[in-house]
Amino acid sequence: MQNSEYVVEMRGIDKIYPNGIAANQGVDFLVKKGEIHALMGENGAGKSTLMKMLFGMEQPTNGEIFINGEKVALTSPTVAIAHGIGMVHQHFMLVPSLTVAENVVLGMEPRKGKLFVDFSKAIALTEEYSKKFNLEVDPNAKVMDIPVGMKQKVEILKALVRGAKILILDEPTAVLTTQETVELFRELIHLKEQGYTIIFISHKLKEIKEITDRMTILRGGRSMGVYNTADTTEQEISRLMVGRDVILTVQKDQAQPTEPVLQVKDLEFTNDWNRKMLNKVSFTVRKGEILGIAGVEGNGQRELVDILYNFAKPDAGSVSVGGKSTLGLHQDKLRDMGISLIPEDRMIYGIADSASIEENVISDRFDKKQFNNGPLFNMKAIHAESERLVAEYQVLCKSPQQQVKMLSGGNIQKVVVAREFSSDPVLIIADQPTRGIDVGATEFIRKKLVELSRAGAAVLLVSADLNEVIELSDSLVVFHGGEIVAYFEDTKKMDEMEMGEYMLGLKRQSPEEVRRVVHEK
Amino acid sequence: MSNILSSILTTSFAASIIRIMVPILFAALAASITEKAGVVNIGLEGTMSLCALIAVTCAWKSGSTLVGVLGAMALGILLSLMIGFFAFKFKTDIILCGIAVNTLGEGGAVLLLYLLTGSKGDTQTVMGAWSLPRVTVPLLSKIPVIGEIFFTNQSILTYVAFLCVLLVWILLYKTPLGIRIRAVGENDHAADSVGVGVYKIKYTSLILCGILCGMAGAYMSMSYMTMFSKGMIAGRGFIALAAQAMGRGEPVGVMLSSLLFGFAQALANYVKGTNLPARLVEALPYVVTILGITIYAISTFNKTRKIRARKEKKEQKKAAA
Amino acid sequence: MKSKSLRLFGYVRGAAALLVAFLVALVLIFLSSDEPLVALRYMLLGPAASWSKICRVLAYMIPITFTGLATCIMFSANQFNLAGEGCISAGGFVGALVAIYCPMPTVIHQIVCILAGALIGGLIMLIPGFLKTRWGVSEMVVSLMLNYIILDVTMQFLTQNFADRSQGATMTFPYKSSAIIPKIFAGEQVSYGILIAIAMAVLCWFFLYRTKWGYAIRMVGINKEFSQYSGIKVGAIVILCQVVGGILAGMGGVVTQLGYFQQYRWTALTGYGWDGITLAILAANNPIFIPIAAFFVAWLQYGCELMNTWTTVPVEMMDLISVVIFLFFAADQFLSGFRQKLVVRETKKELAEKAAQQSKKGGEAHV
Repeated sequence: MQNSEYVVEMRGIDKIYPNGIAANQGVDFLVKKGEIHALMGENGAGKSTLMKMLFGMEQPTNGEIFINGEKVALTSPTVAIAHGIGMVHQHFMLVPSLTVAENVVLGMEPRKGKLFVDFSKAIALTEEYSKKFNLEVDPNAKVMDIPVGMKQKVEILKALVRGAKILILDEPTAVLTTQETVELFRELIHLKEQGYTIIFISHKLKEIKEITDRMTILRGGRSMGVYNTADTTEQEISRLMVGRDVILTVQKDQAQPTEPVLQVKDLEFTNDWNRKMLNKVSFTVRKGEILGIAGVEGNGQRELVDILYNFAKPDAGSVSVGGKSTLGLHQDKLRDMGISLIPEDRMIYGIADSASIEENVISDRFDKKQFNNGPLFNMKAIHAESERLVAEYQVLCKSPQQQVKMLSGGNIQKVVVAREFSSDPVLIIADQPTRGIDVGATEFIRKKLVELSRAGAAVLLVSADLNEVIELSDSLVVFHGGEIVAYFEDTKKMDEMEMGEYMLGLKRQSPEEVRRVVHEK
Repeated sequence: MSNILSSILTTSFAASIIRIMVPILFAALAASITEKAGVVNIGLEGTMSLCALIAVTCAWKSGSTLVGVLGAMALGILLSLMIGFFAFKFKTDIILCGIAVNTLGEGGAVLLLYLLTGSKGDTQTVMGAWSLPRVTVPLLSKIPVIGEIFFTNQSILTYVAFLCVLLVWILLYKTPLGIRIRAVGENDHAADSVGVGVYKIKYTSLILCGILCGMAGAYMSMSYMTMFSKGMIAGRGFIALAAQAMGRGEPVGVMLSSLLFGFAQALANYVKGTNLPARLVEALPYVVTILGITIYAISTFNKTRKIRARKEKKEQKKAAA
Repeated sequence: MKSKSLRLFGYVRGAAALLVAFLVALVLIFLSSDEPLVALRYMLLGPAASWSKICRVLAYMIPITFTGLATCIMFSANQFNLAGEGCISAGGFVGALVAIYCPMPTVIHQIVCILAGALIGGLIMLIPGFLKTRWGVSEMVVSLMLNYIILDVTMQFLTQNFADRSQGATMTFPYKSSAIIPKIFAGEQVSYGILIAIAMAVLCWFFLYRTKWGYAIRMVGINKEFSQYSGIKVGAIVILCQVVGGILAGMGGVVTQLGYFQQYRWTALTGYGWDGITLAILAANNPIFIPIAAFFVAWLQYGCELMNTWTTVPVEMMDLISVVIFLFFAADQFLSGFRQKLVVRETKKELAEKAAQQSKKGGEAHV
């Protein structure tokens, strides 16, 4: 019988995916009964993976899990639920057209007779738990009509009603307003007082400081240790969370940026859930420089990239490249203007998976004169082009006729990059360009990016990978809460410790300092 | 023109609308259930066709129209499950599965007809005429106008059809199965996360669909007509798909859409005898269908725009406050 | 290019699907006939019995080749437009009218008739195409309704305005001889239309695989988001592929009419549209395989007809075979167990190769 002071013990957890990526390495995660325990780390640090294993959605490659001192094999969410573990996901698992009460009892509906649902019992049950745990919900409201804060309460109720004693909350405040967050914290403390254990996944330092007892910090798949919240300063946390273990230097000459290429002014955007994702964002990317956007994901970077490539419309503001506005133009006009995009989701936007490498690599230029003889394709020219690109970008494949989906992740990305870089772009938007790919491909793509920049392209690099965004960018801005909170003109002269504090919202530069990134003449 | 109008505004015309809309209503309800579960079943046409044939056949062999209806329902279940099997297990595109069943319903029905009767036209000669009992409800039929339309001499399945509107509504909104069906259709991850078997629910929805299609077929061959004849379904299965789309899969909405298409068809029938071009009039229900789903699509399109606009207005109000 | 063994697997799976279809047919033949083996012989070998019969098969290939090509193009962009059935009638009718009432010198006459049929087919398909692109209306329901509407409209005009009342059955006046597409072999049923059909198959292959429009159609079918991101105008492509489908189906109607008939007498939907879908599935949406698939289906169809004439097995057997082919041919997971083993073996081989290459280059071996 292990230490029964710990209600959850995960020891020596490894999670290695079939493609070789190690999401967790040798992680120990110990949670005491009745505490609120924070699990922290940047995106990609391994916290979601760890919790997926605790909730039975994934299985550890190595390691053991004990619940209340008993060794368990959490093979599915149902098994996890049976052991009293409940999870509130970041993306709610609710059915929009059903009422709150119906969602709460889904799968275990109380019956009237054998055939009918006893709605009054369902409502009574919902109200009982709602009152007991101070989670105010309207049992009769349809889930699609209730505010996000209440949706979350419904998710918590769902877990509690199924007997959860250990609650995992995945980035719960990501979607809440300040008021809703205050309410949530009140509820969590109440739960804690009733003996429930709460695991709180987050990277929001202020909140962690406010409500948690202890915290485990993950970085790069490993645990940096467990700390008492009260005894640790925000600066110390920031240093543990945001830092580089290995410094991969990229060879590059000093940038000599000239005239502005991409000019973004006062961009504003509110998403469908009424959250302001971009708040008067202004910046300029100049010819010959790589401007990086650093920041924890979810702070507006996604929306910015969508707007830059016209997959979304801003509420206000302007975007222009080379002096011409880009808003509202179809993507083929953007490409004619010389704007290339390496999309974050390469499988959805970057490639057509069952088409050949060749077909993928010409998708932006297939209608140009050089590849067409009258109505027909000039196959010789097309083959020459695809072979040239495959060779130049070192795409490991049998031939350009091979289906793209057969390639490894890194090589798929090289196909995307081969196309986007070879169109002689004036502006390259690179969104997580090396995520999830092998070291060789990563090195290659970064080198190419620098080459193109020094040859005169303007590069906007959005990356959650700290290594990348610091090493690769000449200058960088930090996004937080839909705003630029810092601008570092020369990344070499930057204090990295400081950067973490900007990223986590602990510090912000003055508006004058930030405005320097606009490079107004 | 006034000729037509006077013949339309009669109770017998209204009664004929009811007669015509019943099979469409059954099939549209069937499609609603599967659609709520996230399953696209376009094989209604073929299912109805084969069920219509089986209905008369079973009635003929057993001497009872009730057995005919039961037989039709059984075949309906079988065909719908087959679609599910190929779509879920073998991953044949579910639309192609539906097309396959429709093709099966056309040629296969004639094949079966021939095997059973030696004729390729209809079942009349060999099996005789079979008719489901017609019912005149004692008190209700005395109500002026409404009584004549709804409660006089309508096939028993007509009442069942309208009852099904209620039953389907109860199923979807008052029973655990209904809640799970809707959950699976809207967010199968949510259903899965609480242990609801997603495929089990989908197969169940197909079974229910089969039962309703069976009744649709049985109505066609034993009420609308008294036999099975080649090609008798004439696109009703597809019109039912449109009715389901327009009714947003809600039982009452579906009933109203079916009513609309029934009206178009009844109108076409009545106008046939007049000077208007006969065949063009026959096309009326199909034209109405296209117009109907287009209008529905436009309104949904604008709805999403309106929601965004409302949100923007709220934001502006907040900012001003 | 898929690896050789995976491609081979594809063929094997196709053959297995055909085998299942064959077995199903076998069972039914045994059920419906006292002399099943005779029936079977007619179905499989009947068409080979004489040169005439083979020509009959070739003649039957013509309409379904066109609808098959039309379906290939539309399915390549993931548009489930089923109006090929109606367009072939509409095209045939309009082409027939030009053949009857517009005298012109031969060769020009056929060309104009074909163009007329193609034009009407294309115009009709603008309806589902536009409705889908503009408002997201299901092209499937619209196209199905259009089939019935087209039938009613053509029948209306046929019976009211263009019927030859001197005849016993409903039909138009005869086609001018300048419009008729002559038979290749005197006395046999197959016209030069077969050459037109095969030529169109080749043209369609070039269209789909060697032009920018075909390329765009295929990319939209594989991944709409990717296509838009790459600069392809997805909405225009959705309309284009349906219009092209309509043009092909309409053409097919005219070529069939002028090559086989003396007057227009299609008083019901022909069923060629549905055959076209079977062909597209068999050909995996590749136009160059359509003629082969068409020959195969036409052979079976005629074989079933012969079987029907000489034994008691009904001709609708063909529909049953089609259905089984449909279901199994397009079933991705049919025999998935075997494919899984193959994929695992292939991946292991590839990884071993890569590891060998990487160790030559140096650096981390990427698994």
